Amino acid sequence: MNLVSNQTFWILLSVTTGGVAGVWAIHDVIFFARLRGANHRDPLVADKRFGYAMGIVIGTIGVVGTLLFMHSKGML
Amino acid sequence: MATTAAAEAETEALAKPAVTPRVVSRLNPANAVTASRFLTLPLLWWAVDHGYHQYATLFIIICGLLDKLDGLVAKIFDCRSAFGELFDAITDGICYGFGLILVAAYGWAPVIPVVFVIGLGLLNTGLRFVYIKRAGRAVNYKSYAMERIVAYTGYLIGFATGEMEVGFFYWAFVPIMLVIVVHDAKRMLIDPVPGARPEVGPAAGVAR
Repeated sequence: MNLVSNQTFWILLSVTTGGVAGVWAIHDVIFFARLRGANHRDPLVADKRFGYAMGIVIGTIGVVGTLLFMHSKGML
Repeated sequence: MATTAAAEAETEALAKPAVTPRVVSRLNPANAVTASRFLTLPLLWWAVDHGYHQYATLFIIICGLLDKLDGLVAKIFDCRSAFGELFDAITDGICYGFGLILVAAYGWAPVIPVVFVIGLGLLNTGLRFVYIKRAGRAVNYKSYAMERIVAYTGYLIGFATGEMEVGFFYWAFVPIMLVIVVHDAKRMLIDPVPGARPEVGPAAGVAR
């Protein structure tokens, strides 16, 4: 029992995962770059830096995983 | 004299409008939205049990969207509360924990990473209680990295229901969560608790 065709479902999954992950990674790259001049000894700044760095890694994994998925489904 | 001073103070107190903290009922629209997330769990179970991947994905997406919606509703109806934050965090844990166990139990996701994820999640929860004990008050430990990994956890269930590179996403999750939990453990167990800094210098102890 399906809601949409498999092809449409795969496209929706790719857009919601790859799109969100890509935007997320770019967002965290920008915010990470903005912290360059901040005091790194401040615990809040250190936490933000670490959080944004992890966000970049997670976003990149999301984009790579989506590309692998699209390749396996013959969409690339 | 003392009686006059007391009377003056009383008059002054009566003249000033009483500042009472805003009391938010636990039965508010934001908490209702949070609680409604539980309604998606039996539907998710039904879809997984019948092998309906698309329906299962839809229900976990609805659960995730309601998580985003409750914050918005709290803002619109001005009904934010400490209980609401805690209820939201508990609901996250129950919904995502249930979803992960479900997909692993039905063979839609690898068991070992799921065990790691749930184990590290429970460890992090325990560390939060230690942090509250260190702080000496009910304080919400905020971690930018943990916020990101929680969002990834929601997606993990969707990867399993959507059969989307399941092995890759689940195994990639484990080292990232491990690094974040170790980092947060250091902050919660070793680093000084913010707001509890010892006063130093000549002005220490002087009323300001």
